[in-house]
Amino acid sequence: MAKVIFGAWDGKVIDNRNRQIFEIEEHPEFNDFDEFNTGNPIKAFFGGHGFFIFEKKVNLLDALLHYMERVARESCGKCTPCRVGTQIIKRKLEDLVNRKGSPKDLDEIEIIAEQIKSTSLCGLGQTATVALLGMFQFFREAILSELSTPIPLRQPCETYVSAPCIEACPSKVDVPKYIDYIKDGKFTHSLGVILQKYPMAATCGRVCVRFCEMACRRTQVDEAVGIKVLKRFVADHEQGVINEWFSAYAPEDPKDPHLQVAVVGTGPAGIAAAYHLLLKGYPVDIFEAKSIPGGMAATGIPEYRLPKAVLAKEVSIIETLGGRIFYNQKMGRDFTLNDLVERGYASVFLGIGTHKGKTMQVAYEDPEIQGYDFGVDFLLRINHDYIDRGIPMELGETMVVVGGGNVAMDCARSALRMNVKQVHLIYRRSEKEMPADHEEIEAAKKEGVIFHFLTNPTKILVKDGRIRGIELIKMALGNPDESGRSSVVPVAESEFTIDTDHIIPAIGQQVELGFVTPKDGVELNTWGTIRVNPASLITTRKGVFAGGDCVSGPATLVQAMAQGEKAARSIDDYLTLGRIRFQPKERMSQLVADLQPMIAKGINIPVKHEYRVKIKELDPLIRKKIFEEVEKPISVDQAYTEAQRCMRCYRVYSAITEH
Amino acid sequence: MIGSINGKQVEFNKNQVVLTVAKANNHFIPTLCEMADLNHTPGTCRVCLVDIQKKNDSQHRIVTACTTPMEEGMSVLTRTPKVRQMQRLQVELLIADHNQDCAACIRHGNCELQDVAQFVGLKQTRYTYPQFYQRRSRDDSSPAVVRDMSKCIRCFRCVAVCRDIQGIDALVITEKGLETEISVRDHLPLNQSDCVSCGQCILVCPVGALAEKNDIEAALDLLFDPELVTVVQFAPAIRTAIGEEFNMTKGENLEGKIITALKQLGADVVLDTNFTADLVIMEEGTELLERIKNKGVLPMFTSCCPGWVNFVEKNYPDMREHISTTRSPQQALGSMAKTYLAQKMGLDPSRIRVISIMPCTAKKGEANRPEFKTKGFLDVDVVLTTRELARLLKREGMDLADLPDSGFDSPWMSDYSGAAVIFGNTGGVMEAAVRTVYKVATGKELATVEYTDLRGEENFREAVVDLGPDLGSRKLAVVHTLKAARRLLESIKTDGNTYDFVEVMACPGGCAGGGGQPRSKHSYQGTWQERKKGLYTIDQHRPIRQSHNNPMITVLYEDFLGAPMGETSHHLLHTTYRDRRHTIKHTMDEIWKEIEQRT
Repeated sequence: MAKVIFGAWDGKVIDNRNRQIFEIEEHPEFNDFDEFNTGNPIKAFFGGHGFFIFEKKVNLLDALLHYMERVARESCGKCTPCRVGTQIIKRKLEDLVNRKGSPKDLDEIEIIAEQIKSTSLCGLGQTATVALLGMFQFFREAILSELSTPIPLRQPCETYVSAPCIEACPSKVDVPKYIDYIKDGKFTHSLGVILQKYPMAATCGRVCVRFCEMACRRTQVDEAVGIKVLKRFVADHEQGVINEWFSAYAPEDPKDPHLQVAVVGTGPAGIAAAYHLLLKGYPVDIFEAKSIPGGMAATGIPEYRLPKAVLAKEVSIIETLGGRIFYNQKMGRDFTLNDLVERGYASVFLGIGTHKGKTMQVAYEDPEIQGYDFGVDFLLRINHDYIDRGIPMELGETMVVVGGGNVAMDCARSALRMNVKQVHLIYRRSEKEMPADHEEIEAAKKEGVIFHFLTNPTKILVKDGRIRGIELIKMALGNPDESGRSSVVPVAESEFTIDTDHIIPAIGQQVELGFVTPKDGVELNTWGTIRVNPASLITTRKGVFAGGDCVSGPATLVQAMAQGEKAARSIDDYLTLGRIRFQPKERMSQLVADLQPMIAKGINIPVKHEYRVKIKELDPLIRKKIFEEVEKPISVDQAYTEAQRCMRCYRVYSAITEH
Repeated sequence: MIGSINGKQVEFNKNQVVLTVAKANNHFIPTLCEMADLNHTPGTCRVCLVDIQKKNDSQHRIVTACTTPMEEGMSVLTRTPKVRQMQRLQVELLIADHNQDCAACIRHGNCELQDVAQFVGLKQTRYTYPQFYQRRSRDDSSPAVVRDMSKCIRCFRCVAVCRDIQGIDALVITEKGLETEISVRDHLPLNQSDCVSCGQCILVCPVGALAEKNDIEAALDLLFDPELVTVVQFAPAIRTAIGEEFNMTKGENLEGKIITALKQLGADVVLDTNFTADLVIMEEGTELLERIKNKGVLPMFTSCCPGWVNFVEKNYPDMREHISTTRSPQQALGSMAKTYLAQKMGLDPSRIRVISIMPCTAKKGEANRPEFKTKGFLDVDVVLTTRELARLLKREGMDLADLPDSGFDSPWMSDYSGAAVIFGNTGGVMEAAVRTVYKVATGKELATVEYTDLRGEENFREAVVDLGPDLGSRKLAVVHTLKAARRLLESIKTDGNTYDFVEVMACPGGCAGGGGQPRSKHSYQGTWQERKKGLYTIDQHRPIRQSHNNPMITVLYEDFLGAPMGETSHHLLHTTYRDRRHTIKHTMDEIWKEIEQRT
C-alpha cells in the first residue's frame, strides 16, 4: 500500500515528512497506488481536489508544471480566467522550473490560481488550480527550497482528463466534449466524438440505459443533462451523410490480407469489434445466425423504441468500411470455430449474445407448449415475422408477461400494439426494485399495462394441451439480502389465477449452448457464459476473443459495445505485437475510481435551475396501437438549450511515475 | 423572495439572477459579455463578480452576478476590496489576450472593453503576450463584414445573433485553450460561407473584432477626383438614425442636414434613394399583378433586401423564382443615374460615380454583384454604411448637429412619396405596394392612405387585402429576421403555397434595425422604435403619399422608361438570381483530425 508522505486534498493537509515511512498510517484508498504498471512506482498523484506525494524525491515544481500544462491545453478557452490564467501560470512555472523566476513569482501565481479557482465558468477551471494552491499554501517552503537546487530533469508523467459521466460510461464516451461541440455549433464533430467509440450512435441515443446520466452532477442542481437525447439528436441530424464520411476512410496502416479477422454475431459487441478492427485496417468477415443484423438490438428491442431502419443504417457503416456480413450463418450449425481457423482467419471474436430464454421453474411449465413464448422469442417474432415480413400473428384477448426488466416491458407494450386487450405484468418484488428503466415502466403504465407487483407465478394451468391460465401468489418483502435488495417470501393462501392462453416469461436469458464443442477449446463458466481474461477478453483458446452478453450475461448495449472495442484493441495487439499492451488510460481511470470515496459531494454555489428538455411523445392512446417510434426528435433550438445545461465537470489528473 | 444587496433589502422572484435583481434595484455591476436584450448570459468574461453569503452560511463566496440565482436570505456585496481586486485582475487577464491596437481600431472610443476597464478601475496591464493573439485569424474576404479575431473577447454575442435571431448559424467555435476562436463554419472564408452579410453581429460586438468593411477611403478617392461626377444617394432609414452618432434626438429626421453634409463633402449631385423606392413600387407592383394575372410563380417575395436575397440564393435556390425580379432601390438609382440622369444632365456616363449611404452592410455586396455591371462599370461604385458616413463626417470635422438644412436640387430624381420613406420599416415595402397596387387594380385609391394591417413588431404577420372583383382577396405576409423567414419558407415548402405576396427583411425591424446602422453599447436594437416612429412621421407629413403619384416618376416613365415592366425597365430595373448553394463534403478522417481522443 502506498504511503502518503505529504499532500493536501479537499482542504485537508497530510504531512508525514517528519515520520518514518513505516509509522505512516494506511489509507485503504491507496491500496492499489504502489505501482502504475509493473516495476513502475507511482511517485505522486495530482487531481482536481488536491495532490499526494508518495516519494521524497519528487520534484514539485516540475510535477505542477506537468499538471498545469495539461490544464492549459484542456481549457475550453471560453472563460477568461481559465483561458488566460492557466497560460500565464504555465509560463511562470516554466520559468521557475528553469530557475529563471524569483520567489516573488509564487505570490503572483497564487493570486491568479485563486482567481481561476473562484471565478472559472466550468468544473475544469474551478478545480484546475486546487492542487497547486494546496501545495503553495501548505508546503511553500518545500518549493522555495527547490528553487536553489539545479534545474531538474523532466519527470515521467501520465496525465488524464475525465468527468463523472465519462467514468460511468462503459465505453468511456467523452460526453462533455460531444455536448461542447453542440454548443459550438458543430454537430458533425459532436457525432465524431461518439463515433470514436462505436458506430451505433443513433441506436445508443435511443435505447441506452444511461449510466452517464445517473452520474451527472447536474442532478445535484435540478435534473441530469439529457445526454442520451443529445446523442440521438446529433446522430439523427447527420444520418444522411454519415456513410459518406466513411466511404473515403483510409486506415493509417492497412493490414496484410492474411491478418483477416472473423467476427461471430452482428450484435452491439460484434459490430463494435468489427468497426474498430476495420478502422485499424484489418479485413473483417462477420457471421450472423439470423437473416437480419443487430443481434439483441434488432430482435430484442421493439420497433417503437428503435426503428429497424435506424439500426440497419448504422450496421451499414461496417459494410461501407469494407466489412463483409454473411447472414444465416449460425456457429455450431453452419460452421464451427475450427472451420474459421481452417479458412485462414488469424483471429476470431465471439459476440453471440444470450438468446435463449430462462424458464420460470414452475409446475406444468413446458417451453414447447402452444401459448408459451420466451420474451426474446416473442419480440423476435413481432419484429421479424410480423413487422418485417407481414406474417400475421394470432394473439388472444389476455396475455401474462412475467419479469421486471426492459425485455418484460418491451413484451407487454408490444402485446398492446398487437391488439391484446389485457396485458398483465407479473413481478415478484415491488416497483422500486424493478430493474427496467423508470421511463419504460411509466410508458407501460400510461399505455395501460396492468402491473402486479409482489406477485410470483406458481403454476401454469393446462387443459387439452393448451394453456388456459396461470396461478399466481402474492409475495411480501422480507429482510434485505447481501445486495441490499429485500428478499421476498410468498404470502400463504394468497393464490389467485388469471385466465390466459399466452404466457411470456421474460426473466432472463442465457447463452444458447451448442455453438462450441469441447474440441474447439473455448471453455464456459459454471454459469454458462464464455470464460475470458477480463483484461484482454481472450478466451481459453489462443487467438479467440469474446465479449458482450455471451461473456457478461444479459447486460446492456453500451457494455457490449465497450467490450467489442476492447476486444478489437486486444486483437490488434495480439496480431501485431503478439502480446496485449498495458493501457495507461485504463489504469488512470482505475486510480481515479479508487479515490472517489475521498471526494466531497455537493455543489456549494447556487446554480440557476434550468429543467431538461421535454421530449415529445406520441399520445399513449394512439401509440399503443401502432409500432411507430414513441419518442420524437428534439429541435436544433432545443438541442442548443439542453447542451447549455452541461456543467463540464472535467477534472485533470496526473501521476508522476518512476519510468 | 427577499435578500439584500449592499445591505439594502431587495425583492426578487425565484431563479432571478443577481445581476437582474441588482439592475432592478440600481446597484451597478460592471459587465462585458452579457446582453440582456438577447437574453444572452454566456458567463464567459467573468467580470461581473460579486460577493455572496448564503443564508445560514458563514462563508463568503465570489460568484458571477449574471449566472448566479438569488436565494432567499442571500446577501450580496458588489464593492468589497476583494471583489474590486478580482474584477480588476479579470480585466487585466482579458486584455492580456486582446490585440491592443486601440488607436487604429474601428471601435475606438466606442469600445465596451475599454469601458469595463474604466469601470473596474484598471491600474496596470502587467501581462502582455502578443503570441496569445497574433496567430488568430483575420478575414476580410467578405465585401461587407471584416472579422479580426485578435480582438475577440469571447462574449459569443455574434454567435447568439447569428444563431438565435437570424437562424443562419454561420459561426462556430473552434479549437480549445488559447486557440479558441469564433470561426466561420467549415473553415470557409466568410464570403464563401453561409453568411448573408446582414451585419447584425457587428451591432453586438463589444470590441473591434467585427466591423463593416471600411470603404471611406474609396469614397474619398471618388469625391476628391475632379474628373468625376459623384452622385450620392442615401436610403430612407439613414435620416432617422444617423443623429445617434452625434448625440442628437433619437428618431429625428435629418434629411436636410445630410444633404448639406454630402454637398460639403464634395458630392456633385445628392439624390434620394426614396425616389427609386417609388420606382421599385411601380415595377414590383406591376410585376405582382402580372404574376397574379398570368398565374406566375407565387408567392412573390420582395427583392430589396440583399441579406434576404443572399439567404435564398444560398439556402433555398430552388425558390429563387419567387423573388421579384425588380432591382432594389439602391441598384435602381445607380442604373438610372448612369442612364436617365446622364441623358438629362448631358453627362458622359463613364464619368459618373455613384456612392450610396445605406443602413446595411449587405448592400456593399449587392453593389458588387456581376448582374449590376453595365459595360464593365458598376451601377453603384461605393457603399458606405450609416456608421461610416458618421465617421467620415467626423474625419472632416463636421458635426451634423451644427449644419444647416438644405434641400435636394435635382429636378429629375429626388422627389419621393411617403410610401417610399417607410421602406425603412418592416412592413413598409408591403404597405407602399398595397397603396399603389390597390389603385392600379381597382382604379381607386385606398379609402385611408395608410394600410396598417401589416404594421407591427411580430416576426411574422399576415393579412388579406381585397383587390376588387378582378383580382379578389389576396393573402399578404410580412416577415423580418431570417430565422422567421426560414420558418416561412419551410412552411411554404411543406404546406404548399398560401400567400400571394411576402415582404422579407433580414434585419429585425427592417432597415431601421439594419446592420449598418449606429450601434449602441450593451443594447441590441435599443433605438429601433424611435427610428421607426421617425419614418412613419415623415410619411404622415409628405404631400404625396403614394408612389404612383410621384410626379418625377411620371416624368421618368414618360421621358425614358415607357411603361413599368417594359423593354427599358427589363434591362435597367430588373435582374436575375443564381444558385449559390454550397455543400461541404466531410470525411471521417478530417473530422477526427480535429478531435483529440482523451479517454
